[in-house]
Amino acid sequence: MLVEIHLAALALYGLSAVLALAPFAGLPLSGRWTLGVASLGAAIHAVGVAQLSLVGLGPALSVLAWCLMLLQIGSELLLRAGTVALFTAPLAGGLVGLALLLGLAPGAQPSAGRNMWFILHVTLSVLGLALLALAFISAALYLLQFRELKAKRFGQVFQLFPPLERLDRLNHVALVAGFPALTVGVLLALGYAIRYAGGMRADPAQLVWGSFTWVVLGWTVWVRVVRHWAGRRAAFASIAGFAAVVLVYVALKLAQPGTARFL
Amino acid sequence: MSITVLGVNHRTAPLEVRERFAHAAHEVPGALARVLDAGASGGVLLSTCNRTEFYLAEPHAGVPDVVWALLGERLSGERSVQQYGYVERDRDAVRHLYRVSAGLDSMVLGESQIQGQVRDAWETSRPQAGPVLHRLFQSALLVGARVRTETRLGTGTASVPSAAVAVASKIFGELAGRAALILGAGDMAELAASCLVAEGARVTLVANRTYERARAIAEQLGARALTLDEAWPHFAEADIVLCSTAAPHAVVTWERVAPAIASRGGRPLCILDLAVPRDVDAAVGQLENVFLYDVDDLQAVAGQAAAHRRGEVPAAEGIVNEEVERFWSWYGGLAVVPTLKAFRETLDTLRALELERAQRRFQHLSPEDREQLDLFSKALLNKFLHHPTVALKAATDRGRGYALLEALKELFGLERGDAS
Repeated sequence: MLVEIHLAALALYGLSAVLALAPFAGLPLSGRWTLGVASLGAAIHAVGVAQLSLVGLGPALSVLAWCLMLLQIGSELLLRAGTVALFTAPLAGGLVGLALLLGLAPGAQPSAGRNMWFILHVTLSVLGLALLALAFISAALYLLQFRELKAKRFGQVFQLFPPLERLDRLNHVALVAGFPALTVGVLLALGYAIRYAGGMRADPAQLVWGSFTWVVLGWTVWVRVVRHWAGRRAAFASIAGFAAVVLVYVALKLAQPGTARFL
Repeated sequence: MSITVLGVNHRTAPLEVRERFAHAAHEVPGALARVLDAGASGGVLLSTCNRTEFYLAEPHAGVPDVVWALLGERLSGERSVQQYGYVERDRDAVRHLYRVSAGLDSMVLGESQIQGQVRDAWETSRPQAGPVLHRLFQSALLVGARVRTETRLGTGTASVPSAAVAVASKIFGELAGRAALILGAGDMAELAASCLVAEGARVTLVANRTYERARAIAEQLGARALTLDEAWPHFAEADIVLCSTAAPHAVVTWERVAPAIASRGGRPLCILDLAVPRDVDAAVGQLENVFLYDVDDLQAVAGQAAAHRRGEVPAAEGIVNEEVERFWSWYGGLAVVPTLKAFRETLDTLRALELERAQRRFQHLSPEDREQLDLFSKALLNKFLHHPTVALKAATDRGRGYALLEALKELFGLERGDAS
């Protein structure tokens, strides 16, 4: 049943991506269709996420995909930035597909998946990561729209992408919300390790990547909030930060293969 | 029974003439009263910067002359109003209003402002509109809304000022609260500024070579007046700069504004150069977070939308034609009952006269026979009237009753009362 639910979510996320692309192919489809299909997909996916034991890479990717879709829906409803679906919907679909390939069964420490500290740790950490991804996506859209506006090209990007300041605002909100989520997620991991797992025995790669991600997200928030970076400079910072997080993950993954744990 | 529109628009009269014919809202009741006094059952005056049109219900023959005379009073010299004017009647008048409301007759194809102006005209003229024009204008607003909903005639931005707003909106999103600086006192800048203000932007500063002219515009917009030389440091605060000076060379140069722009902290600045020749040195557009657009750029934005809109015209015209037939069907039905009543009364009067004449000749008839003769004449009249009545009602249901009604009136002199 869990697999079928994920397959349904995958199909709806794929359809949502196609609907988001339709206006670029000249089909005058309302954004409501994308929103509706994405919402249906996220609702079905929620049923699957509720049944997951949040241990292992497959379940973590599934939760990440679900968080991304929730953020896509939130972006459309709160900031009318539905164009993020161009990135979030295929990314979420890809993550669900990958989760299905890796398997949704819990990996090591399956009992941890029933502990509330652990569930909150995974959920908040993944949410922080999804918000960092959303900041990356909004930054990429910002730079595309910026380039079109500067070059005085009034094509589909100009017409269909959200305004620059709205994308900048979305980037700001994503980073400012993502940092505390990830911070609390990391603190919960520490608390869980001390209280339930018999001390700090985390995997070194997990520690390195978790800490690195937290530092990168902290830096992007610091330059935006404290140094008042905005616009193109802030967009470049978000893209660089997200790229660094992904590259470090890939490097660690290559150095330490295996899918039993998150890393 | 008829509907007539008389007026001038952007196709038939130059701006200088149209300006003279424009009626403020407070002038409308007086103008309509004069026209209605000349003999019309209702009137609506639609006056915008692109058109002045009198819509009249059932006007007598002399009414158009009164309209032209009324407009002629506003025209100086020896010029004749009628050389700029046009008249449309009945279906064509209805079609004309529907096309106006849909934006098909606008200078900027598909623009939506006209619909609000049609609504305002109807509201202002309401006490003098009468039931037919009341229904006509209500339906015209629905036609305009239908065209905009069912076609893409109103999508995009098809004029330079609206393109300026669209470009600024693509940078800032909502324009509410954005600070605009106006350089120069050109008409285009004033028009674009009014579009920005309509979107919620605040014109905070108006700078011009001559301070007095700057002050005149600043007072209208609730802004502060400056000379051009005082304006450069204010590039640090403004979000949007509208340039429309009459200078023969670029006045906004890199040297003048770069220091102020550098202090903006990465906030975007949208510069809309509406002047020809251009006011802004192209090098200014190279500055970080400065988005510079000239008239050609804005016309490119407007041109894209206009080309797209032209493809929607056949669909919009189809809706207009469909709605004209629908209105005309209602309008024809409105007239059929009183006309049939008049038709029957006229023929019944004839019957009664002829019967009386016959009875005078046939004195020998008994009262029973006379009664039989009366019944016979009534039955004969009913037989004669049956088919025309049914045919007329059927034609009205199909929206084709008006022509038959007119023919009936003409053949039997129903409005002149000379059937006998």
